[in-house]
Amino acid sequence: MNTFLAALSLGASRGATFALVALGLVIVWRGAGIVNFAQMGQAMFSTYIASTLITNGYSYWIAFFAALLSGAVLGALLDIFIMRPLSNKKQSELLSSESMRSAVPVIASLGILGALQALAGIIWAAEERGFPAPAKQEGFTVAGNVLPFTSFDVFVVSIVTVALILTTLFFTKTGIGLAMRATALNQEVAKLSGIRTNRTRTISWAISGAASSLAGLLITPTSNLSPNTLDLVLIVGFTAAVVGGLDSPAGAVLGGVILGMVISFVTFYDTPEDVFLAILAVLLLVLIIRPRGILGSKDARRV
Amino acid sequence: MSNLKVKSIARISLIRTLIFSALILLVGLQFDAYNQAQLAVVLILFIGVLSITLLTGISGQLSLGQGALMAVGGYSTALLMINYKLSLWVAIPLSIISSAIAGLLLGVAAARLRGPYLAGTTLVIALAIPTIANRFMSVFKGDEGLQVDVGYPPQWFSTFFGEPTYEQWQLYVALPFAAVALFFASNILLSRTGRMWRSIRDNESAASLAGVNFARQKIYVFIISSTFAGLSGALYGLRGLVGPSVYPVSLSLLLLTAAVLGGIRSIAGAFIGTVIVVFLPDWIELILGNFELSEQVSNYLPALISSLLLILTVVINPAGVAGVKLHKHK
Amino acid sequence: MLKIENLVTRFGSVVAIDGISMQAQESKITTVIGANGAGKSTLLRTISSLEHPSSGSITWKGQSIIGKRPEDIVRLGIAHVPEGHAVISELSVEENISMGSLFRRRKFKSDITTAIDEMYALFPRLKERRKQLAGTLSGGERQMLAISRALVSRPQLLLLDEPSLGLAPLVVEQIIDSVNILCRSTGLSVLLVEQNANTALGVADHGVLLALGKVVADRPASELKADAKLRAAYLGY
Repeated sequence: MNTFLAALSLGASRGATFALVALGLVIVWRGAGIVNFAQMGQAMFSTYIASTLITNGYSYWIAFFAALLSGAVLGALLDIFIMRPLSNKKQSELLSSESMRSAVPVIASLGILGALQALAGIIWAAEERGFPAPAKQEGFTVAGNVLPFTSFDVFVVSIVTVALILTTLFFTKTGIGLAMRATALNQEVAKLSGIRTNRTRTISWAISGAASSLAGLLITPTSNLSPNTLDLVLIVGFTAAVVGGLDSPAGAVLGGVILGMVISFVTFYDTPEDVFLAILAVLLLVLIIRPRGILGSKDARRV
Repeated sequence: MSNLKVKSIARISLIRTLIFSALILLVGLQFDAYNQAQLAVVLILFIGVLSITLLTGISGQLSLGQGALMAVGGYSTALLMINYKLSLWVAIPLSIISSAIAGLLLGVAAARLRGPYLAGTTLVIALAIPTIANRFMSVFKGDEGLQVDVGYPPQWFSTFFGEPTYEQWQLYVALPFAAVALFFASNILLSRTGRMWRSIRDNESAASLAGVNFARQKIYVFIISSTFAGLSGALYGLRGLVGPSVYPVSLSLLLLTAAVLGGIRSIAGAFIGTVIVVFLPDWIELILGNFELSEQVSNYLPALISSLLLILTVVINPAGVAGVKLHKHK
Repeated sequence: MLKIENLVTRFGSVVAIDGISMQAQESKITTVIGANGAGKSTLLRTISSLEHPSSGSITWKGQSIIGKRPEDIVRLGIAHVPEGHAVISELSVEENISMGSLFRRRKFKSDITTAIDEMYALFPRLKERRKQLAGTLSGGERQMLAISRALVSRPQLLLLDEPSLGLAPLVVEQIIDSVNILCRSTGLSVLLVEQNANTALGVADHGVLLALGKVVADRPASELKADAKLRAAYLGY
């Protein structure tokens, strides 16, 4: 019973962060039609910025918000200087084919990932460093028994919940949110409605950057920080997004939680070494049975 | 060039291959031992980059898991050589079959997947190699890996051509395979098959209207591309070790970088790109050797520069070095 | 008001518009008619900058608008309702309408509610379905919604592309009437593209007949309607 509860709580806390990663991927996919493989590279970079601030004596919360801000700014800059010029190049011969239009931005995002990791290696050295948690990572004690549920887990789950609510409100209740949804769903109609689609795309990148930086801040206390730490997180986030449906924000959250649970239960009941195979199995299973994901729409697999 | 007859296509490809081989020998034998080994790496990875040229450049499917297919080739060769004491000249062709089978499986899955789904899935597969190597410890020996190398030349070779150094022998082993790969790639590109694959890339719906069964063709492309990757991986492992650390995800990305830098649609581009990525660290050291760089900087600088080159290529001239001319005409 | 001169638009080697010169007059309905493939839709798409012309000029109130982005063309007062009931199915009716007024939300905050209410007055059926997803609407309702989305931007010129496409005659009549009333009462100028020449010429002040990307006739609508020879030659009835 205790193992079960432990698995459940770890699953919830991990699932919450994976939901954020998946949400970041979904927002850029919907807003710009690109799966951003550089996303966790951006998160790694802003987590390093937070880590540097903390080492220099700033409080956790200043570092926390600085990381979110730098994540957003970095995302916006990548769109403005790399992805936007790329999408304006559609007339070029190489990009004239359907399949290359989807391949080339992916290649660009891999280039960004490589550059960010190398840059982080140059600036902050390669050795792993720890990253603090703002809450205790020991289980609660009730009547002498240590429960498998830590204050940090509570912190993670609640902050992700707040972030998800804010994102939902932003998308459904604000004008910019409506403009972004419109751009994601039908660019031509959005443009004809006077929506500056370039700008909404950049905002998608910024929000996604902030969301994944938050994920970085929440994962690194348990995994340490190095230029490559978050690679696997990207894979889990991608799988979560595919499981939920690449074009569905709600699906991203659902997929994140599912992946969190799968990973946690495999860790507790089998062995941590099988976690990666489990992820691969889940991904292949979904792609075979329901390629558009649990909540994805029918034409989600657009090229 | 599209109306060439089969015979003249073969002739053109053969001439290209012979000129290529002659140039490599001519240049390679002038090099010092270190650069000969580097040139052997170029030849080996060139085959791997060709697998991307065929898959992505010609048929438009983006795979980030070529490293995994290379690992299939590498492990098969190593297991055949160690467990069955086969010579590399027998083990490599056999291991190509196993990578073709892996390509078939991947291709069947890929035929259902589009764009980023394929890229993501193949990336996950590439990342799974260390896990699999450790999971089946008794066969693959986990992180330690399997030790194999090109060994020494047979007696008749030394009698005819004189005793080669180890680095020269590496070059001599890689060259015939690279030449065969070049010959086949050139043939495919010039042939009707190549044209059909390009039509899949350019417009799937139009291609299927024209009667091309693109699901089946996509699988064929994957199989052929995988044999190239498997061959490259087998030779890559023969430099001394077959293990997870030899086929990391960064290897897949390195191949992709080479293919894009040089020009993802051309064989010449594949070679130029491979030369760039293999020699880049040396060139950087040559230029910056006089500066006192910390280890931290010099370790990461090649990766930073090749990543930036990749981004610049994609943003400024997606057709790559070899595609400059093609780009201007249109 | 809108003046087009020697406009040429190409798709690769295909010339869709081949040197068109014409005008849309202020507070009038100008209709562009012609068979399928005559270049009517491309003309509208070029005006709103969704396509880029290879030569020629488009001037709006004396200024060239070529090379501007589609989202800026709307800001200049030209709203485009593209072919095929272009609404966003996954958004609600109200969201679709207010989408068209988003860009005005800072400067004209109070006017937006008024503008949206005006649309509901014009098409009461939309008001009943305001919370429904646009994808659940009938074809006619979707067309009304698409027009509303364009009108809330308070345009001076409305580009209307084949509003009758796939709709029952009665619905077409209702929609065309609404546009007609709007034009007469508010002074809105309309550039109406139609394959259904009878309906279009019935409400229009002026008619332009296109064939294979060229202007064949440019006359008052009543004259064009009366010219049986032209109709037989270019529209086939």
